[in-house]
Amino acid sequence: MSALGIETAGLGEQGGPARPRPRRRGLALAGFALPVVLAVLWEVAVRTGVANGRLMPPPSVVGATLWSLAASGELFTHAAATLWRVAAGFALGAAAGTLLGAITGALPVARGLIDPTLQALRAIPSIAWVPLFILWLGIFEASKVALIAVGVFFPVYLGVAAAIQGIDRKIVEVGRVFRLGRLAMARRVLLPAILPAWITALRSGLGLGFMFVVAAEIMGASEGLGYLLVDGQQLGRPDTIIAAIISFAVLGKLADGLLVALTRPVLAWQDTARDKL
Amino acid sequence: MTISRRLAVAGLAASLVLSAGQAFAQAPKEIRIDFATYNPVSLVLKDSGILEKALAADGITVRWVQSAGSNKALEFLNAGSLDFGSTAGAAALIGKINGNPIKSIYVYSRPEWTALVTGAKSEITKVSDLKGKRVAVTRGTDPHIFLVRALAEAKLTEKDVKLVLLQHADGRLALERGDVDAWAGLDPLMAAAEVESGAKLFHRKAADNTWGVLNVREAFAKDNPALVRKVLAAYEEARAYALANPAELKKTLVAYTKLSDAVIERQLSRTELSHSTIGQAQADTIVAAGLALQEAGVLPATTNVKAVVDDLLDRRFAVTN
Repeated sequence: MSALGIETAGLGEQGGPARPRPRRRGLALAGFALPVVLAVLWEVAVRTGVANGRLMPPPSVVGATLWSLAASGELFTHAAATLWRVAAGFALGAAAGTLLGAITGALPVARGLIDPTLQALRAIPSIAWVPLFILWLGIFEASKVALIAVGVFFPVYLGVAAAIQGIDRKIVEVGRVFRLGRLAMARRVLLPAILPAWITALRSGLGLGFMFVVAAEIMGASEGLGYLLVDGQQLGRPDTIIAAIISFAVLGKLADGLLVALTRPVLAWQDTARDKL
Repeated sequence: MTISRRLAVAGLAASLVLSAGQAFAQAPKEIRIDFATYNPVSLVLKDSGILEKALAADGITVRWVQSAGSNKALEFLNAGSLDFGSTAGAAALIGKINGNPIKSIYVYSRPEWTALVTGAKSEITKVSDLKGKRVAVTRGTDPHIFLVRALAEAKLTEKDVKLVLLQHADGRLALERGDVDAWAGLDPLMAAAEVESGAKLFHRKAADNTWGVLNVREAFAKDNPALVRKVLAAYEEARAYALANPAELKKTLVAYTKLSDAVIERQLSRTELSHSTIGQAQADTIVAAGLALQEAGVLPATTNVKAVVDDLLDRRFAVTN
């Protein structure tokens, strides 16, 4: 809306969310308390022999496994392979989802034509595609990337289409009052209006992308964190499995953080009550 | 009021725990045992109902679970979902070293069930050709162990090839589709690939196959030694029946695997069912495999392989035949 040049009362406060920071940092640290306490308790329980850590190894064992994987460079190879697949699948799925979402959101004709089919396809749990993708595309990169792209596509498609259909009539009318042309309307009113929803859709798409990379790598891989997971399963080593799970969690969180950081500038105009509620 | 209610709850909880403990000490109501296409005797045993009959008197039922490979049997044993599981001897060793509390108690076959397999049109003819190639394998099974040893003999390691981790059946499909260059195969799937798609076994070494052994959960064997003996007696009966009726054995395998007669014939031609007592021969083979794996870095260098094998094999239940 700042693009329209309308100064709102809230904008002035944007520079100053510094005051509540210390308390929020304390709260952020508090979030670590529960997992750390649980981990320490489990470590103690295993060390003292109350529990045997056979099926659920204590943090020290998992840490040692992670360390040895990292030291040998294996962890990096696996993480890089997984990240590459997610990135490729995400790029394809997000691009297709955005494009089709925009088309069906904006054009009633396209909505009537395409949307029912896509909604029907959306109802198929994406894991159900696995056997078909293996037959069509083999077990390597093509089928993995395709599966991830399918996973990413639907939340993005749904988010974009819904955002376009949900644009507030009032701001469109403001645009008309300012006598904006079609292009200027899209650039200065419609695009900013759907941006927040689009980015949320991308984030949930990315989350699903990480979900599907596991499924994709379980169906046969020679590298990737899913390979590590299957390796731990086939050799009966829960510490390797947990190491892979932790790596997935860390990578997923980092990727999401990166996406948020990258998109923050384009949302800077938003006048929200984030810091005041 | 509050206190008495709390007491009541505590008492209830305590009695629940106690009764659960008693139930645990009692004989189990159900025995969980696996069947597998790589263990022909298990299929005969399952079909014949010998075990069900033997345990009916004790009011114990039998639950059959299919294992798709040694790794799966070990996984189920580890989780307590199986009481008896069939694996390869050296696969059980890997499980044991990785903390799986099992004992190997019986030999169900002496097979040459694994070899290195490649497609009909492949140019791979020897193990050293595998360098840099994609090889489908199920880790923690005899084919995996066989592959590691074959690579070591060709002065290669697992790092020199690209392992693609697939369960045996998926490995066969990947080979036939051309997704991988080679496959560490397992019968009867290997025989099927051979007969049906002309796959070639380019590296065979019968001595590096590490016996088919039946394993029991340590805790189960400790609590129910009599039951273990009954199960092994039933296994012996099924094995004797299989030996005496090769045609029946073949029919049973064909029915379970849905593979052709020719495939099963090929499998049975390299499967010897004339052993059952676990002893020195098995220990020697498994130790040799363990040492080779240790040299290749699959097993930690600090493990005392001989001691673990001694702990793994339990000769108490040896059936005299």
